Amino acid sequence: MRLESHPIVDFKRGKEVTIYFNGQPVKAYEGETIAAALYAAGVRVFSRSFRFHRPRGFFCAIGKCSQCMMEVDGVPNIRTCKVYVRDGMQIRTQNAKPDAENDYFAIIDKLIDRFFPHGSHYKKFNSPRLLREFMTKQMRKMAGFGNVPRNVPDVNTEYEVMEADVAVIGGGPGGLSAAIHAAKYGAKVVLLDENNYLGGQLIKQTHRFFGSGRHKAGTRGIRIAEILEEELMQYDNVDIRKETKVFGIYGMDVAGVQNNSKLLRVKARKIVIATGAYERTLIFENNDLPGVYGAGGVQTLMNVFGIKPGNKGLIVGSGNVGLILTYQLLQAGVDVAAIVEAMPRIGGYFVHAAKVRRLGVPIYTRHTIVKAFGEKKVEGAVIAQLDERWNVVEGSEREIECDFICVAVGLSPAHELLYHVGAEMKFVPELGGMVPLRTRFNETSVKGVYVAGDVAGIEEATAAIMEGRIAGIHSAITLGYGGDEAKKELDEAVKDLEEFRAGPFGERIVCGLEKCVLESEVML
Amino acid sequence: MKVAIIGAGVMGLSTAYYLSKSGIDVTVFEQKYLLYGASGRNSGGITPMIDREELIPFALESMKLYDTLPSEVDFNFLLRKEGYVKLASSERDAETLKEEVWMQNRFGVSSRIMTPEDVRDFIPDFNPDSAVLASYCRESGVIFPWPVVWGLAKGCRKHGAEIKTQSRVERIETNGSKLIVYSNGEKYRFDFVVNSAGAWSNEISKMVGIELSNRIIKEEVCVTESIKPYINPYIYDISSGVYVTQTARGEIIGGITGMEVDKIDTSSTIEFAIRYAKRVVQIIPKLKGLAMLRQWAGVYDEGRDGLPVIGFTEVEGFVQANGLGKHRGMVIAPALGKELARLIEKGENPSIKKFNPERL
Ligand SMILES: Cc1cc2nc3c(=O)[nH]c(=O)nc-3n(C[C@H](O)[C@H](O)[C@H](O)COP(=O)(O)OP(=O)(O)OC[C@H]3O[C@@H](n4cnc5c(N)ncnc54)[C@H](O)[C@@H]3O)c2cc1C
Ligand SMILES: Cc1cc2nc3c(=O)[nH]c(=O)nc-3n(C[C@H](O)[C@H](O)[C@H](O)COP(=O)(O)OP(=O)(O)OC[C@H]3O[C@@H](n4cnc5c(N)ncnc54)[C@H](O)[C@@H]3O)c2cc1C
Ligand code: FES
Repeated sequence: MRLESHPIVDFKRGKEVTIYFNGQPVKAYEGETIAAALYAAGVRVFSRSFRFHRPRGFFCAIGKCSQCMMEVDGVPNIRTCKVYVRDGMQIRTQNAKPDAENDYFAIIDKLIDRFFPHGSHYKKFNSPRLLREFMTKQMRKMAGFGNVPRNVPDVNTEYEVMEADVAVIGGGPGGLSAAIHAAKYGAKVVLLDENNYLGGQLIKQTHRFFGSGRHKAGTRGIRIAEILEEELMQYDNVDIRKETKVFGIYGMDVAGVQNNSKLLRVKARKIVIATGAYERTLIFENNDLPGVYGAGGVQTLMNVFGIKPGNKGLIVGSGNVGLILTYQLLQAGVDVAAIVEAMPRIGGYFVHAAKVRRLGVPIYTRHTIVKAFGEKKVEGAVIAQLDERWNVVEGSEREIECDFICVAVGLSPAHELLYHVGAEMKFVPELGGMVPLRTRFNETSVKGVYVAGDVAGIEEATAAIMEGRIAGIHSAITLGYGGDEAKKELDEAVKDLEEFRAGPFGERIVCGLEKCVLESEVML
Repeated sequence: MKVAIIGAGVMGLSTAYYLSKSGIDVTVFEQKYLLYGASGRNSGGITPMIDREELIPFALESMKLYDTLPSEVDFNFLLRKEGYVKLASSERDAETLKEEVWMQNRFGVSSRIMTPEDVRDFIPDFNPDSAVLASYCRESGVIFPWPVVWGLAKGCRKHGAEIKTQSRVERIETNGSKLIVYSNGEKYRFDFVVNSAGAWSNEISKMVGIELSNRIIKEEVCVTESIKPYINPYIYDISSGVYVTQTARGEIIGGITGMEVDKIDTSSTIEFAIRYAKRVVQIIPKLKGLAMLRQWAGVYDEGRDGLPVIGFTEVEGFVQANGLGKHRGMVIAPALGKELARLIEKGENPSIKKFNPERL
């Protein structure tokens, strides 16, 4: 399943190593995550669901969905899509006997509805007392997800406290840009990202960017990440912490775990939250079957690790992401059976749609996926037409032959940290869900806490870069850096972004933004 | 007779349950939602092995009620009776444990002293070097506090009580022999008003001009991701205040017993996470690899002399039912609620006289 050649990406694989999956040796390459290596080896069932023991597979590839959790070297509940392989690693599946592939308890999924309708265990077997006690004991035995820990992990833990003018959380285009522009005027910046690379979503984007001419359109996403990183590297007042997952903000203290061993505490004067977004999923029968992926998950497999997701895919959603993904799949030599789109017309740009059509992929508008089928992995799907009231047109169901399904139905802001700081939030559908109220300078209702990029509202990389610029400069200025020059650039940056959004594609965003501006503006 | 209960925690709801069971007209007011208070935020350790002899009879009685209530209200509290271990990590605290056990035995609790080595019989991965002495009581365990609250609420409703959530009591007025309660712009008349508002009890008392001054205690807890059954008993280290056990869902839950605060505050701190993690991996070293999934805090109250405040007050019809104290509210509340219901119904109940508000 590993790609050997690709028209755009040149995969440099690390040294070959052997890892052990439920005792069996599996070939892998350094630089691959455990999940990617297992996927390449043909593993599809990564875990079993908590209660009903349904098979669960790889989904998001960015540590958010928890479906890939396994025991690694005696430590339970490791998200294998976020951990890189090491020679001799022992990996075991969890919540299954004898293993996730062949779990006896899968029978629960077939029987559960008969005994525990809607899964409620509180209202059954309560009398007599002895029966209740017996059943509670049995439930206890079945409860829990991960394996019990076998080892004390062999790591030295550390605790580091540091101070920063501006702490930037997330190293995607939004965060990178914020860090660059705060550092540029002299602020001491710390940039934290959970990955071992910078660039966020850009790293998967092998296509040439759309968007405005002045703003790097025509450049491939992966290259934009490199340009931003090079720019940031010029400043020595920036401390970059990769592989650092921020798990909380306590007051103005940003707390993260670096390299799984160090507790890092950044006492910040300003915070820029640029954590990006999560992939949405869709409700349909068996939407949890291994082989149903998020678009980003498939991109990661293919464009970062050079691993084919399957032989033939069905794409749900015809926005730019769905269209570009289809094109990337074809580039990698993977077939695409069809794209289905619930709306009456294609969501993405015409150029992308035309390209995909030329390559022979049908796009069915006013269609949806009704169900996926297959025992332990996707073996096909059923799609159907929708009428004006979004109901399935009877008799229009048809089977699609495919071995994976890619859900590309949009993103939702990754806003947990905004709740930690207590920022005022609002549901704005145009921006993709719950988003923070913010000033013109992207400061939230919590003074000193800014947002930039998709976490502020789902848009695109160009806008993320521009928002990062504004947040970065504004935070530096309010700390006393930069003087008139900075103020001038800030005005320019605000104007730039307004112009960028003035086009027809910005209409929706502008409409959404109007619903969440904070009146109280910080005067400079 | 019409009774208002302020606060739908385990204290308010058990009182409401026993009152309504006797046919009394009860209305429960909860400012937010069920589980908002300490009763929805605690770690569910229940044991008669407590340090105040005055409370032991109620703890023993509650242990019995926890066995029978689930059938009565048809709701499983997911009680797991697999023992409770107390640890002492200094010689001085070891003495305290010994004195406690001696006292507990006198009051009919079957607790005993054991060496840290013996603790491994119940928790194989326990590190015996993390303590100098332990005490243990088999007749104890862990309960899931949510179904306790839901189940009691279900029982209340079955007996005709009304539970009003999102209904903060804003004001209380006295009017002859009646008390008038204001909530959500409406007024209600009652013969009795029971103040079971936990950490908010001081505020409620002020509404009728009583200075209660219970201590307000903030306590932080956290859980890890869920694992298969690993820790069965409840473990509480009296020296550091750190406790740890496993929830019904398999999460390793633990915290540090609370500290007095000036005002209600449920924010989480990183200092807690650090202190807790440091100590808990000494107690069970293999927990080191687990990831913390969530942390939160709760508030509860304690009477100035360390005992609950329960009974009639100088304001006619205004009844206190608060100040349950550190790490034992879940243990004593059902029995105290039952006795308080009897006090309200009959006008007297010698068994809870020692908790009378007037003592303070
Ligand atoms: C298939 C596809 C095609 C696209 N094509 C284009 C295009 O052609 N043109 C365009 O302009 N845009 C395009 N976009 C959109 C663009 O990629 C995103 O809008 C942009 O990457 C958002 O940037 P960001 O900085 O907000 O977030 P991200 O790029 O998502 O970066 C967020 C970063 O924060 C990190 N992070 C999150 N939480 C934490 C935490 N708790 N601790 C530490 N780190 C954390 C993440 O690991 C990540 O690195 C495309 C998107 C997709 C999916
Ligand atoms: C982290 C933590 C761990 C704990 N661990 C244990 C343990 O292991 N074992 C144990 O026995 N005990 C434990 N406790 C203690 C136990 O949880 C409490 O003692 C018990 O829940 C108190 O119950 P209560 O009904 O008095 O108060 P609460 O449950 O706090 O109920 C009071 C209610 O009153 C409501 N209220 C307040 N003001 C108003 C108003 N004006 N109008 C209407 N409603 C109002 C509140 O919203 C609240 O719901 C722990 C507590 C915490 C916080
Ligand atoms: S968390 Fe690893 S695939 Fe989603």
